[in-house]
Amino acid sequence: MDFEVTYTPEQEAFRTEVRTWLATNIPEGLEQPVDPGDLSLEQYQKLRELGRRLGAKGWLYPTYPKAYGGGDLSVDFVMILEEELDRYGLHLPPYYDSGGRLGGASIFVWGTEEQKQQFLPPIFRGEWRTWQLLSEPNAGSDLAGVQTRAVRDGDSYIVNGQKIYVGSLHGCEMMWTIVVTDPDKPRHENLGWLMIPYGLPGIEVRPMELLTAGGEGGASPGLKHTIFFDNVRVPAFNLVGGENNGWRVATTHLELEHGGGGVVRRNRVVDQFLEYCITTKRNGETLSKDPDVRDDMVEAYIKSEIVRLFGLRTYWLSHAHKPRSYEGPQLSYCRKTYALEIAETILRAVGPYAMTNDPDWGPLNGLLEHYQRSAVVGLHPGGTTDIQKVIMARRIGIGRTTKEQAGRLR
Amino acid sequence: MDLGLTEAQELLKTTAANFIQQEYPKETIIALESTPTGVTPELFRKVAELGWLGIIIPEVYGGEGRSCTDAAVLFEELGRGPVPGPYFSSGVLGALTVLHGGTEEQKHAILPQVASGERVLSLAVTEPHHGWRPETVQMRASLQGGAYTLNGTKLFVYDAQAATHLICAVRTSPSTNGSTSGITLLVVDAKAPGVTVRTLPGWMAQVDEVRFTNVRVATTAVLGSTEGQGWETLEAAALQAIPILCAYQVGSCQTVFDMAVAYSRTRVQFGQPIGRFQRVQDHIINIVNHLDAARWTTYEALWKLDTGRPAAASVHLAKAVTSEAYLKVCDSGHEVHAGVGVIREYGLTLHTQRSRTLYHLLGEPRYHRRRLADALGW
Repeated sequence: MDFEVTYTPEQEAFRTEVRTWLATNIPEGLEQPVDPGDLSLEQYQKLRELGRRLGAKGWLYPTYPKAYGGGDLSVDFVMILEEELDRYGLHLPPYYDSGGRLGGASIFVWGTEEQKQQFLPPIFRGEWRTWQLLSEPNAGSDLAGVQTRAVRDGDSYIVNGQKIYVGSLHGCEMMWTIVVTDPDKPRHENLGWLMIPYGLPGIEVRPMELLTAGGEGGASPGLKHTIFFDNVRVPAFNLVGGENNGWRVATTHLELEHGGGGVVRRNRVVDQFLEYCITTKRNGETLSKDPDVRDDMVEAYIKSEIVRLFGLRTYWLSHAHKPRSYEGPQLSYCRKTYALEIAETILRAVGPYAMTNDPDWGPLNGLLEHYQRSAVVGLHPGGTTDIQKVIMARRIGIGRTTKEQAGRLR
Repeated sequence: MDLGLTEAQELLKTTAANFIQQEYPKETIIALESTPTGVTPELFRKVAELGWLGIIIPEVYGGEGRSCTDAAVLFEELGRGPVPGPYFSSGVLGALTVLHGGTEEQKHAILPQVASGERVLSLAVTEPHHGWRPETVQMRASLQGGAYTLNGTKLFVYDAQAATHLICAVRTSPSTNGSTSGITLLVVDAKAPGVTVRTLPGWMAQVDEVRFTNVRVATTAVLGSTEGQGWETLEAAALQAIPILCAYQVGSCQTVFDMAVAYSRTRVQFGQPIGRFQRVQDHIINIVNHLDAARWTTYEALWKLDTGRPAAASVHLAKAVTSEAYLKVCDSGHEVHAGVGVIREYGLTLHTQRSRTLYHLLGEPRYHRRRLADALGW
């Protein structure tokens, strides 16, 4: 086994290239707020500029074919990109683009050649930021029970309905959603998967007031919206995967949402919490020397290590194209439940300071305060922890001899 | 990055699995479970012939010279049984102790015999004030007339009944009592006059009390060239041995997982397989989460050891996670199996017993959590 990438000279040369490139192409004055809800328009535009520059090199979505705007890069090269971006506290994509990250995969697997040519390059080159629209007021865990309707009218679909927990700060260019295309068909056979340009007439976007905005495994969005569709006319060309096939198209991005792509990043909050305990004195004694705090530190560390290893394992399975089963939802389940437990551990170890982002009293510029909220919010995006367990059970084959297959990623 | 096994490891895994299937059917393991040695001479000979008692011993000392990860692949399969017997105590922990602490002459004298199965080693370290810490080693060896005299009791000694030789941790100088250093390891013939080995009754298995009454040991029995280096030797041996022990526990967790999934499909209550009930599913998901946490912390520690990376923190992490996971996996296994799970012939309790018996070996989870904090420099 090898838990690290052993880089070839060619790959090390690539690292030098990436490092040099980043040094000149990361926009000046780029800084990321502790609370993604504080991301200014100016900072967002800098991130988008970086995204377009990466996209022009094929480095924004580097594993996809060059023909569609990707970079044709193998997993080891992508690791180098991620490692080098990580030095700046960034990753791919450098802003919230879960619609592109997840929807791009669906279009790649299920789209016609014409659809791929039209939709993928703008996503992969960073020209579009894309939002995914899945949950509705009456369809959360039961996602297949969505009610938003799309009725065929000539070369268009007329869309009516409402979606919630959508998007991020500062808008987007493209959205996609699952809609009911045939209400008379049985569950899972009645849906369509539709790309919808953001600016079409009849779309209303209304911000939601949430505890904080949780992301679907990607960069934090900063803000979520309710979106209303009132007789929105969408080109029929934009239906990906064919009539009433939307649920199968969705299995691809749901697989990624459920953790199937894995992750190679550390939990930076835990790292900074540990560093804080080592460097902070209370009553003349370093926090980490307090036996109770030390136990808490170990607890948080162990959980973050387990999640890191699950992320690495799943990343390897996915990128080395190995058979996958329950591993993605297991990563998602453990990441979420452990995050909540770690938040409690931090609250206990640090004390009430962890509940304020006051410049005088809040540790780490409010990072720990934000974590107290984001760990709670983070339980639901990309499927609740209970849903992850349901998927795990089906794929393991608990109580059933036929094991459900993991969603296609290629 | 490659988290799969090598071809050679896959081969070893298959060979071990086939051997265990043939030689260690469930009935055999149940019969051996609570015997003093956990093994028969015939089975021990067969395992020795496969070279597995010398898997980690360098070839120059008559072993197979394979990596820690290779040894772990083997012990994961043994854990699936769970196969009892002194394979870990002698072939891994004992061998590594001699390898790290012995003189060249001792290594040449002892290790080939360990690999061939002629010698069986067991570590006698802990005492009535139990703890895997140097301060708890209090037994004295006084030097009189060119030989040591040993008096005292070693408690919770694993596989002493099967051992031909005990590697016994003692204090040779009164001034070192209670200190972290100054411990000496003596290789003592288990049949020497004054050595009494008694199997501890109860749920634990192959764990013994060893009494020393005026046992005379030659000074040549000191492992290494000087006195007082014993704890450092034990630490170095344990660093490599622990993840291999963890792999055994991972294998056992894997079997409990497989048993629970199989049972969830076949056991019908309220007109459907019990695995259709989400409360039952929760138990099995709990099992697989613990199993995988144990597996990946263990194999990452092994990888660090085999590639010469600093491994201490990872080893402590793996032991803390794995010993705890093993207990919880068996607990959840019993939740799934209910009454059937506690029928001895069913086989689940083999794992449950072992999860408790191995919990403290080479330090319990709490100890390793503390050592983890130290190793991370906090």
